[in-house]
Amino acid sequence: MTTRLHVEPSFAGPLCWFTAGVPAGAVLDPEGLEGFTRHAAELARRGAGDLDRAALDEAIDRLGATIDLEVDRDWIALSATCLERNLDRAVELAAAILRAPQMSEREHGILQRETQHELDDVRDDDASLVERHFQRLCAPGHPYGRTVIGTAGSIARFEAAAAARHHEALWSGERLTVGVAGPISPARADELAGALSAAVAGRPPAPPPALDVPPAPQGRRIYVVDKPQRTQCQLVLGHLAPPYGSDDFVALMPVETAFGGMFSARLMQEIRVKRGWSYGASCRMLRSRAPHWFRISLAPTREVAVDALALTLELYERLAEDGITADEHELAVRHLTGGLPFSIATARQRMRLAVRHELLGLASGYPATLPDRLAALTPQAVREATARWLRPRDLCAVLVATADDVVPALERAGLAPAEIIPWDVY
Amino acid sequence: MPWTLDIAHPFSPHAGAPAGAGVTAPRALEVRRHRLHNGLTLLHLADASAPIVSYQTWLRVGSRHELPGQTGMAHLFEHLMFNQTRAHPAGEFDLLIERTGGDTNAATWVDWTYYRDSVPERDLPTVVELEADRLENLVLESAQLESEREVVANERMQRVDDDIDGFADEELMRLAFRVHPYRWPTIGWMEDIRSMSLDQVRRFYRTFYAPNNATLVVVGAVGEAELLELVERRYGHLGPASIPEVAAPEEPAQDGERRARFTKPTAAARLLQGYRAVGQGHPDWPVLSFLAALLTSGPSSRLYRRLVVEREMATHVDCDVAPFRDPALLRIVVHLTREHTAEEAEAEIADVIGRLATAPVSEEELEKVRSVVETDFWAELEGMDGRAEALGHFETTLGDFRRLFDTAAALVRVSAEDVQRAVRSYLVPQRRSTVIIDPDPAALSGDGDDGEVEA
Repeated sequence: MTTRLHVEPSFAGPLCWFTAGVPAGAVLDPEGLEGFTRHAAELARRGAGDLDRAALDEAIDRLGATIDLEVDRDWIALSATCLERNLDRAVELAAAILRAPQMSEREHGILQRETQHELDDVRDDDASLVERHFQRLCAPGHPYGRTVIGTAGSIARFEAAAAARHHEALWSGERLTVGVAGPISPARADELAGALSAAVAGRPPAPPPALDVPPAPQGRRIYVVDKPQRTQCQLVLGHLAPPYGSDDFVALMPVETAFGGMFSARLMQEIRVKRGWSYGASCRMLRSRAPHWFRISLAPTREVAVDALALTLELYERLAEDGITADEHELAVRHLTGGLPFSIATARQRMRLAVRHELLGLASGYPATLPDRLAALTPQAVREATARWLRPRDLCAVLVATADDVVPALERAGLAPAEIIPWDVY
Repeated sequence: MPWTLDIAHPFSPHAGAPAGAGVTAPRALEVRRHRLHNGLTLLHLADASAPIVSYQTWLRVGSRHELPGQTGMAHLFEHLMFNQTRAHPAGEFDLLIERTGGDTNAATWVDWTYYRDSVPERDLPTVVELEADRLENLVLESAQLESEREVVANERMQRVDDDIDGFADEELMRLAFRVHPYRWPTIGWMEDIRSMSLDQVRRFYRTFYAPNNATLVVVGAVGEAELLELVERRYGHLGPASIPEVAAPEEPAQDGERRARFTKPTAAARLLQGYRAVGQGHPDWPVLSFLAALLTSGPSSRLYRRLVVEREMATHVDCDVAPFRDPALLRIVVHLTREHTAEEAEAEIADVIGRLATAPVSEEELEKVRSVVETDFWAELEGMDGRAEALGHFETTLGDFRRLFDTAAALVRVSAEDVQRAVRSYLVPQRRSTVIIDPDPAALSGDGDDGEVEA
């Protein structure tokens, strides 16, 4: 058996968690079919073996369990939570979902309609809306720029038979990683992992996803998503960042932390504490297999939205030019290394992290190596990574705001938008 | 001895369960409640499974203790607590916590305010010193107030004014309550946030921030002797205050359904229903909580199946009963799909409730919901912070952390008769308030969504 297994025994409570994942996510969506991998995963959960959707839902709920499929750009995972006394049955049901999903035409049609309606929920939430447009616009042509949920047009083109074939191609035993946590022995965990692995055994692995990253766009590109009646502006700006776990990623972690990863970071201090312009202001590098985004986000009130954008750009230019100070470096490294125990405090956290890192292609025990890698960082290495990746003049900024409130001020500030996009068209 | 140990209780609702009762007993942990001579309460749950500590300070003050015209005070004050003290300049509190690798935050709701610090075990003394210091020595000046006033105004815009669900929820409470302070939002009305004075803020601090109005909840890798010594050293000199009894006026019985309707820039409608219910200490609260799970927890739950699966009428449906000290609401929230109206959802909900009122729930369905609520109970207690939060909530809201375990035990004892009685007593139109959000046609671009926007 080639399945990788991570077990975290813990007798702190009666709950068990298990996850089975493969390193094949939404980047495998066929051209013009954005959201197809998510659709196939969700459809698999709607009836399996001899249980139709209602019967499967009933069987899972009767255990007090949850079994969900999560689709990331780089991976898919089936994750479950259940009481230990119901673990065997929960694993049986999960294995049925992986082995023999019904993928019925009827449920396919229902799911298509549901997903179309989910797009309305995304547009209703300004934070989700700005993310959706930022993903699309940050680096055109980038595989991560395609939406995981889909578009109205792509969803309408899905076909049930193709979804069934996609499911078979995604879930291969050769690439399966399983994690189990809770009050069970390693031997029992091994048996359960065997059942999950057997469910997908013999399927040839899909070809590895193409992760061709296009050249980063040049210049500043500003977009306004025009939504009426906004009192605030949801603002996200950024560009490409290094792949998760790479040397440059680690070298930029103190920069990410010092600039926008703590309450005492520069962004929070300048935007919120000194000026009260936004409830939050932060930055983050997204953790993905290929270069993803370095993104800054804040939500200033409409009256100061353009001032807040201008100040953020100024702060970011200064960061790119001068880097972080020695004091900031020292504080950030202490914060990052001191914070590691919180991400691995429970058995579930340790198991999920191990599975996640496996799916992202990182070496086993990656978190354990992080303190030494951070401690070994020299100011020179951080400066060089900063110079390589931070591009304040070549970035994309997306604002969800009422255009009439912000566009004139943007133009006066020399930040005229390249495009004004109606809020309900994507 | 400055400390008195008054309760020691296993960290489980199943202590003493007979062998073979089908209960998987977790590792033996014990919650111990101590009282300091000045009235400070300390809940301690020693757990060395990870080298971290969750340190929470719970104050028995929330938005229910505010006055009209000063709504949002408890929440605004929570922000000010992260500022400056006589011992630590502005910004140092966060800096010292973040230097440890830890994290700090706070929350305010109707019955309480709490402050949370999560730190490595070795840094516990730092946290104890910082928390004791700001309970006693906070510096409150205009500059701090003005800065935080803007932040809170922004927070309100984000969570309420520009958020359909936040707005609808606020309107539901305003509609359902006419005299009780639950009628105003914890974040406060904008005009009150804008007008709060420095004198009012200082008076609030002096009135409610005292050791005898606080409970420390400490969960994690710290021994009892060390903890008691640390806390006594930093808090022992503080004197108790005279905490006023704030008796919220009792909300009169509702005499009929109330309805309100609004439009927002959205493509699909929202429906919120709130049924006047009971406080969390009432024996019917676990029954209503069980009923909420029966209606919307899991895809086979009655309302979810009806509205989302069978009728394809909604994308989301949720039901909960507010965990408040005084009687509040059992709330049903529905996100409609474009093709359906709130009235259609109301008819379906009425039908589902009507069936529950007339036909008893089967033992099989009861057993299913018992498993769901048992899983939910343990899931909330997975981490140190979650455990501390659950203990702090029950100790502060109901005066005894053991009510957490009593409630869990009561949930799995709920019977078919209990459910039917609760439906007939509480889920009736004269106890209902309804808020509907309709799409504002003028807010739609009219361009349609073909999903083919090019980058």
